[in-house]
Amino acid sequence: MQILEARNLKKFYREKGREVEAVRDVSLTLAAGEILAFLGPNGAGKTTSIKMIAGLIRPDDGWVRICDRDPHHQPQALKLLGAVLEGNRNVYWRYTPEENLEYFGVLRGMSQNAARKRAADLLERFNLAHKRRALVQSLSRGMQQKLAIAVSLMHQPSLLLLDEPTLGLDVEATEDVKRLVREIVQEGCAILLTTHQLAIAEELSNRVAIINKGEIVTEETTDELIRQFSGSAYVIETERPIDAERVRKLHLLGLECATSRTIHVADAPMLYQVLAILKPLPILQIQKDQANLTDVFLKLVRGDEA
Amino acid sequence: MITIFWAELKRQWIQQRRYALDSIAGILGIAVAFYGFFLTTKYAAGPAAQFGDRLDSIVVGYALWSLVTFIIADIAGGLQQEAFTGTLEQLFLSPFSPAKIFLTRALARLTVILVQIFGILLILMAVTGRFLSFTPTLLLPLVTVILGAFGIALAMGGLSLLVKQVQQILGFLPFGLFLAMLVPVETWEMPARLVGWLLPMTPGAGVLRELMARNQALDWGQLAIAFLNGGIYFAIGLALFKQAERIAKLRGRIGGY
Ligand SMILES: Nc1ncnc2c1ncn2[C@@H]1O[C@H](COP(=O)(O)OP(=O)(O)O)[C@@H](O)[C@H]1O
Ligand SMILES: [Mg+2]
Repeated sequence: MQILEARNLKKFYREKGREVEAVRDVSLTLAAGEILAFLGPNGAGKTTSIKMIAGLIRPDDGWVRICDRDPHHQPQALKLLGAVLEGNRNVYWRYTPEENLEYFGVLRGMSQNAARKRAADLLERFNLAHKRRALVQSLSRGMQQKLAIAVSLMHQPSLLLLDEPTLGLDVEATEDVKRLVREIVQEGCAILLTTHQLAIAEELSNRVAIINKGEIVTEETTDELIRQFSGSAYVIETERPIDAERVRKLHLLGLECATSRTIHVADAPMLYQVLAILKPLPILQIQKDQANLTDVFLKLVRGDEA
Repeated sequence: MITIFWAELKRQWIQQRRYALDSIAGILGIAVAFYGFFLTTKYAAGPAAQFGDRLDSIVVGYALWSLVTFIIADIAGGLQQEAFTGTLEQLFLSPFSPAKIFLTRALARLTVILVQIFGILLILMAVTGRFLSFTPTLLLPLVTVILGAFGIALAMGGLSLLVKQVQQILGFLPFGLFLAMLVPVETWEMPARLVGWLLPMTPGAGVLRELMARNQALDWGQLAIAFLNGGIYFAIGLALFKQAERIAKLRGRIGGY
């Protein structure tokens, strides 16, 4: 089921007489149970796009539908949406986690009773139960962020927007947040996630959309994108140095040894010819040249600048 | 709507309890400051026989003034504070409209403050030895003043969405409000009196003074004017807030870029 549909979003800001083209053309779709990693360099327009989806910024052009409802004109659409926005505070620091959860639950349209029950559940699930009566300002950054996510889930939204949810978290808290994101999506929520930590995006996302200078440059499933950018090349590494005779034979195939023990091979047919030459030298490893999201990201974003 | 009111009231209650010392210090501070004001005025005016009425009027005006200033500073200042820290956007993500949330909040705040003001009044009456008359009809002009105050609070709140340095404007506000609450328009003659009707909350404050300090009967004509005044200020404030909200969304300013 399609949860989010955003079409041709556009937002220009006027600042000190100068026009900033924050978002030029962004279209995104997201189905239930899907995580879309929304990646891009600083200032590319991610936060502006997310806030347009959340109804916080009015687009100059284009439209947004959340389960067929328009968050800019139908307040009921906001009941389907939860968001943890960039920056450090999405909750009240002078109140406790319990108070925050119950208050925001009611504000999202829950009854006091339902909010109390749900708050207790979430505190348990997010490992915050022991801190439920502590002031938020006294919690660690990781706990505060987990609470912000819990608050955004109070009313069981179909769509969750997470803008840089792991920014400034330590390793352990980052792992916690990753685990929670996986759990939430398994329950059928659709998640739109921005992050600068590409490894996290690669691990979590089903699909990736890359935005640069206000425009989406690529949108693909994560696996497909990585496959596309992975070459067909192999690297072979032997245990012992390759002898001069073999080096000469490899040279006839047009190959040079990178070091005395490694050799780069362009494709699969060539791989077997090379293996025939190397036989019976002991082989340490053969590895396919596998791209990661960082390579993809840099190629796309840099390529655009060239 | 009722549910959010209770949630807001609960929040206020928690806040008051958690920062109880601040609240009590606030009440005592206001009472002491006023007592000083009372002594100096008494000294300056001498033991004039006519003074009683005027003093009671001042007490009423003062209580109203602190109520109104509190509400307005609280809403507009609170909104700005939340824009700064980041919780404001979470409020705007609610299916309830921000105007509704802030009004409910103001109402909850008012409930708490009224209890406090009542406390201050009791202290003041005990200290000054002057007793004001309280009747249920007092509520009617009070409502007109509060309508006006909410209107101004919404307008200031809207302004704080758009202008970052709203604190400076808020700094001047108490003086303006002091005038609006204390000018005795009810005693003015006709052309000037017309102007008095246009001042924010002034007609309602006048009716309150007549009732409480001068023990006069409720003048329904004056009350109607006060309601009209309060209603119009409220409507204008609400419209300004909605407009400010629209502009803030266009400029991407909610949450304080
Ligand atoms: N409210 C605003 N007014 C003016 N310019 C803005 C505003 N918000 C963002 N910008 C500008 O728009 C561009 C995109 O910003 P943003 O959406 O925050 O990017 P990202 O989240 O990808 O880093 C940036 O150049 C930023 O400076
Ligand atoms: Mg951003």
